Amino acid sequence: MLLLMVSAAGYLPAQNPGWIVPDDLKSKICPVKFSPEMVKQGEGIYLKNCQSCHGLPTKQNFAAIKPSPGDLSEPRVGTQKDGELFYRISTGKAPMPEFRNILNEDERWSVISFLRSFHKGYVQPDPGKSSSTAGKRIKLLMTYDTAKKRILVKAVELNKEGVQPAKGVGIVLFVQRYFGNMQIADPKTTSESGYAGFDWPRDLPGDKTGNVIVGARESDPTGSMQEAMVIDTLNIGVPTDKPSLTDTRAMWSTRDKAPVWVILIYTLAVITVWYFIIYIILSVLDIRKIKQA
Amino acid sequence: MEKIISDLSHHIRLNKGFFLWMGFLGLALIACLYAYIQQLSYGLGVTGMRDVVSWGLYISNFVFFVASSLIGMLISAVLGLIGMKWVHPITRIAETIAVAFAAVAGLVIVMDMGRPERLAYVFMYARFQSPILWDVTVITTYFVISFLLLLLPMIPDLAVLYKRFGNLPGWLKPVYKALSLNWCNLPEQNRIIRRSIYILLILIIPAALSIHTVTSWLFAFTTRSGWDSTIFGPYFVSGAFVAGTAAVIIAMFFFRKNYKLQDYLTDLHFNNMGKVLVLVAFVYLYFNINEYLVPGYKLKRADAVHLRELMSGQFALIFWLVQVCGLLIPIIMMLFRRMRKPLPLTIISAAVLLGAWFKRYLIVIPTMSHPFLPVQHVPENFKVYTPTLTEIAITLLSFILVLIIITLISKFFPVIPIVETANDKGLDPLKSIES
Repeated sequence: MLLLMVSAAGYLPAQNPGWIVPDDLKSKICPVKFSPEMVKQGEGIYLKNCQSCHGLPTKQNFAAIKPSPGDLSEPRVGTQKDGELFYRISTGKAPMPEFRNILNEDERWSVISFLRSFHKGYVQPDPGKSSSTAGKRIKLLMTYDTAKKRILVKAVELNKEGVQPAKGVGIVLFVQRYFGNMQIADPKTTSESGYAGFDWPRDLPGDKTGNVIVGARESDPTGSMQEAMVIDTLNIGVPTDKPSLTDTRAMWSTRDKAPVWVILIYTLAVITVWYFIIYIILSVLDIRKIKQA
Repeated sequence: MEKIISDLSHHIRLNKGFFLWMGFLGLALIACLYAYIQQLSYGLGVTGMRDVVSWGLYISNFVFFVASSLIGMLISAVLGLIGMKWVHPITRIAETIAVAFAAVAGLVIVMDMGRPERLAYVFMYARFQSPILWDVTVITTYFVISFLLLLLPMIPDLAVLYKRFGNLPGWLKPVYKALSLNWCNLPEQNRIIRRSIYILLILIIPAALSIHTVTSWLFAFTTRSGWDSTIFGPYFVSGAFVAGTAAVIIAMFFFRKNYKLQDYLTDLHFNNMGKVLVLVAFVYLYFNINEYLVPGYKLKRADAVHLRELMSGQFALIFWLVQVCGLLIPIIMMLFRRMRKPLPLTIISAAVLLGAWFKRYLIVIPTMSHPFLPVQHVPENFKVYTPTLTEIAITLLSFILVLIIITLISKFFPVIPIVETANDKGLDPLKSIES
């Protein structure tokens, strides 16, 4: 019996191995001072992405799922450092999605600023210190090489000496989808001249005119820096004009697009049967008027 | 002839038994209404239904109600039109049951709504493609036809009673006068009534088949195991005849005893109804074998999970009780003439009816409990559906409403057609009211 309890105790934590944030990432802080506008933006993002599970802060109306998402206004969240919240939002943990590819850094920070507005006694760490820990500031530029069908991403470093190519910067290329981003090829590292090149997949579908929203972001495995990012609309996809499944009349479509035969059969059946019913009701009511001849 | 009129109408009066019974129903109604008010104020969270099992007791009960209401068509139209004279005394009982169950079936759906005040949206945003719209349409239509089939054949009876029956309670007289439509047995009046009833008897056959077929489509139009079946329409219709026939036999027994109708609802009627029940139960058994053996032989993965849950898992006890005690044993017993006497037949019918109710539970809940996507990260009460007390009380509410409707109709109107019964005996009570 005792053995069973000991083994059970040993088993339980293994089932749920916590959500450990690496020590060096805990100290990550927001590079800007939280502002009312940022809180407002964060609220909008929260309502769209977080509310369905976590409910509204302080209302305790989170979803009844396991593990419980909990109310994010509680001290259990409030006592965590900004870096911890940032890491947890970014990496997720099933069933919570990974928001790294769904929200950019600014958006993730604005959600944190919104949550912080519910945490009593919270004081934001001085953002001034952020740039000093970040060390350098990277800017990304993206171009498309039509001849070679390649995307070229150039990383440049902004420092006291001016703008210089940044070598050894990890770059992730992605395209935007309806929900989240899709990574294209493996991440690359910039060369001596600050360039990273990606072969563009020729069969990637774009919109009707072939437009694709392409983005490149700095891949920072330590997460300690503010990630640089560039997003652009490029006319390099395969023009795709598939009619939407709800464009034509179909069983699954809206009422206005019901198949004609369904409307006809339904209407005809209803009219026929109710014609007889109303006819019978009227003729039966006539019985009252019939007098002996 | 005077005896027939008095025998078939002497129960139309207010007596102590009636007040006691209605008082009991009224109190039970109030208690159950309280449960419904709870549901209205706190939402469907007071039921056992959650994300996974979102159709529970209410929907199984709805299917049962629609099923039971189908009997009106079988007795009046099918048996009536092929000239079975013995069904004459039973037709009105069958129509009463049809009207009561069809009327309350619609209410049961409203009870299943979290926001019943949005009922109008069903019509405002109705899609022609949706079986839900078809269901609402055919149930309304069936209710109206059944109601007319209850009322129209009663018009001559009401006229006879209004003019000849001295003991008719005073407050009922205006009702009888209005409903009897100045009936004085004129040829023209007879012609209209006969033709109207004839059209209705033909109309009610497709309408009745539609209501239960469409109700089955609410399930069969999905790909879920246990519902994804091409025979669901006839399977439901045959099951409906079983439930309805059993309900009529039970009602016959109570009316015969309480309203002293032994001379009119005789052993012959019970014997014949027993034979009808054996026939429809056999058909239903045949459909059951198809419904379980065909997927059971192929054992597609999801079907295997479903069938295992039914036959040896969580639902095994109910499943085998329903099949054996609600279908197989009753069929074998009713093959013997002795078992088709009123009392044994009523007891058997009660078992069949109870089985029929649980059968609907088995059609709805096990399939709901096993969706194709795995059920993850949910609390225990999401995985296993257990009806709550509030939910059970609201379900009882629907049965109380049915009993109230049946009681009111049968207490204030002749349960057995008077003119038809007299005609069958070669008498014509209408002669005396002419002019």
